[in-house]
Amino acid sequence: MRSKPLTGTSPPRSARSIFLTAALVLLFALPFVLLALLAVAPAWRFPAALPAAYSLRALRDLLAADNELLAGLGRSVLLASVVASVATASGFWLARAIARAARPGRWEALSYLPYALPPVLLAVLIQPFIIRLRLSGSVGGVLLGLLLIAVPFATLLLRSFWTQQAREYEQLARTLGCTPRQALWQVLLPLAWPLLRTALFQTFLLAWFDFGLTNLLSVGKVRTLTVQVFTYVGEANAQLAAVASLLLLLPPALLLWANKRALLRKAD
Amino acid sequence: MLLTVSHLSKAFGDQPVLRDISCGLAAGQVLAVLGRSGGGKTTLLKILAGLETPDAGAVLLEGHDLLPVPPNERQMVYLYQEPLLFPHLTVFENVAFGLRIRRVAKAETTQRVREMLAELDLGAHAQKGPHQLSGGQRQRVSFGRALIIRPRLLLLDEPFGNLDAQTRADMQQLFLRVSRQHQITSLFVTHDSREALTVGTHFGYLDQGTLTSFPSVREFIQDPRTSIAAELAFWESVQQTGH
Repeated sequence: MRSKPLTGTSPPRSARSIFLTAALVLLFALPFVLLALLAVAPAWRFPAALPAAYSLRALRDLLAADNELLAGLGRSVLLASVVASVATASGFWLARAIARAARPGRWEALSYLPYALPPVLLAVLIQPFIIRLRLSGSVGGVLLGLLLIAVPFATLLLRSFWTQQAREYEQLARTLGCTPRQALWQVLLPLAWPLLRTALFQTFLLAWFDFGLTNLLSVGKVRTLTVQVFTYVGEANAQLAAVASLLLLLPPALLLWANKRALLRKAD
Repeated sequence: MLLTVSHLSKAFGDQPVLRDISCGLAAGQVLAVLGRSGGGKTTLLKILAGLETPDAGAVLLEGHDLLPVPPNERQMVYLYQEPLLFPHLTVFENVAFGLRIRRVAKAETTQRVREMLAELDLGAHAQKGPHQLSGGQRQRVSFGRALIIRPRLLLLDEPFGNLDAQTRADMQQLFLRVSRQHQITSLFVTHDSREALTVGTHFGYLDQGTLTSFPSVREFIQDPRTSIAAELAFWESVQQTGH
């Protein structure tokens, strides 16, 4: 009896799987398509299914030197980058200190406390101190507020790195000839890099998308991109809100793209 | 004496871990220390490596006080039960690690690492990552990484404890061969009496923080705490029953 020859081709995809893929693509892509349409539609009134006219003016205006949206993008990138870097670096050392403390459980429980309050409520509570520090309405004040949320978050995330094995790696590096600084740079940081990258990414997003705390502490003076999106939505300026939203999605999308291998590694 | 340990004591809180420990080790000797878990073996090794500080006592290396010397300047490598290879480095770079830290010239590093890998039968695996190796191969890389810096003393904390019986026996033979070839002085802690007898030139027994050093292998075997004599008697009785 002759057996069927093995050809390396996969079986044809069923109509059901094609339908499912199309449905998923539509589900994820639809908000972006709608945003793009809104960004080029100066007037899109109910009940029209599509805009009556299209214009690239709002997008072209972005290139103007005094464009507030572009300035907001710069402010947001700066704020989120500083928060991500400071929170991740501080979280790394705080997590190490907690791991080596006599009763690490207590300190770990304290790290959860900022999560007992929504960011806006936290902002209300710390606002009097921010005013006394003369930081109200400044980038420094917003930065301080965001760090109060991001540092405990990074600490909790990085706590899982400081196991007994990390300590053994550090000690082994010392006996192989490393100074404490060399053990950090040559061994600990490369070992922790996947977690550090996740912490950087998550704290960046935390600061990037924050509205309540930033809006309250900045008293309308530090207009980040997220704050601007809410302002335009409030003013019913759909086109500018859409342009701002597209800008808002750009850095996280780039970060997701850059980190896709790390994010998908468990699925591999 | 290369290493002299005198009246070493250490306690964690109220719990004494090492009690008045004294021993000596001449160059080229392998002191095999037998003991159960929690007997203070790891603490003793960590004090010698500079990773823990004793409460009392002295440690001298060639007559010089070793206690104020930081771990990176002691030239004593501590080997754990796990090989702890650096996952971000290849086999070659793992072995080269100590030389790179010491800023040894590139050509010399390459030559010495190649020689070490060939000696440990790892030449074909130089560019592999640690995750691509078997348990025995990983432990050999860990050995190579320690030996390449020509340590004055090798501190081994049950290094073959996680290997299967056959690989463990192979590694013991490899340790013996390399130790003799490089004239390595080591302190080898184990809970396996057979392993102690295989690798050791001198013997000790550590239990509840107290170290007993034996002047000869005969006395080590005959001490009832090592249970070796009882085990020998058991096998003899099995053999007699079989006949």
